[in-house]
Amino acid sequence: MNIGKSVIIKGDLSGSEDLTIEGQVEGKIELRQNVLTIGPNGKIKATIFAKAVVVQGDVQGDITASERVDIRDNGSVDGDLSAPRIAIADGAHFRGSIDMQRQGGKVETSKPAEVKPAAAPAPAPAAVSVAR
Amino acid sequence: MTGLFKWGGRKDEGPSAAPAATVAAVAEPLSTSKILPKLISVLSHVESPILMDLGPVVGSNIAFFGEQLACKIFVEDLFAEVETRARRGAREELAEALVARLARPPASVDGILCWDVFDYLDRPASQALAAHLMKLLKPGGVLYGFFGATQAELKHYTRFIVDDIHGFRLRQSPATPTKRNVLVTRDINRMFEGLTVAESVLLKSNARETLFRKPS
Repeated sequence: MNIGKSVIIKGDLSGSEDLTIEGQVEGKIELRQNVLTIGPNGKIKATIFAKAVVVQGDVQGDITASERVDIRDNGSVDGDLSAPRIAIADGAHFRGSIDMQRQGGKVETSKPAEVKPAAAPAPAPAAVSVAR
Repeated sequence: MTGLFKWGGRKDEGPSAAPAATVAAVAEPLSTSKILPKLISVLSHVESPILMDLGPVVGSNIAFFGEQLACKIFVEDLFAEVETRARRGAREELAEALVARLARPPASVDGILCWDVFDYLDRPASQALAAHLMKLLKPGGVLYGFFGATQAELKHYTRFIVDDIHGFRLRQSPATPTKRNVLVTRDINRMFEGLTVAESVLLKSNARETLFRKPS
């Protein structure tokens, strides 16, 4: 699912399918089982919970991911990151703290070179809901 | 709602904002480190240590320290503060600005990576920053510093890219020129009076790497 760049959402956004945001969201985003991609035009001012988060645009807010956070080279994050795997590309902007939780006593990390493209949005029947 | 439209764009944060392609094209000298293994060794005995990195964010360093230490890392790019003030011709604001940026509870950090930030500061800013960092360190905490020794105009910032536990690649990005704040060993030790010198190494380049430790 895609949120286009002309779309502005103020409120809580949750769902059970992968989501790409090119627009603007202010509030809270929950996709706990799915991948959230903030596209190059995306501007987010929200707390984010997802399975994986790929940042190519601007995020102001904390990001918690159960699998990974990737900040790509034009991505910008002002907030705290918490995930087992975190990759920050050269040229990315980041200010905040980084917490990589231990998993089975070992921390999993990935270097920027190992960043893989975000998973393609799954054609899931479930919908994304917005609570205002 | 109109505020939403003001988020746009990357922050003008000096060296961090340099395009990756620009800096990657420049040769990256290597620098071995005898201090980095000691820092890792000290912090590896701390459960979930808190590390503060005063340089621009480097993804591979985050991965390295996360893997080695399973730590929480605070990234506070002081070079960006330096560059912002340098462009405005307002370096005299740095002492206050740096301390304000690092507003955290006293004794809340296990390790601090200063890199070569002191080379870019004048004496008052250096002293103010050093005093504040000493407050932030927990007892037993460690502080890493890299101090240039030659009088020179600095025209670039250096990112210390940790290759492995024994050294760095030094990646340069343009800076507003400034005269290096050369600190001799006596000055450095006096600035961090209250900490003990765990180890200090003079490199072939005449730069000095020092690891300070706060007494327990």
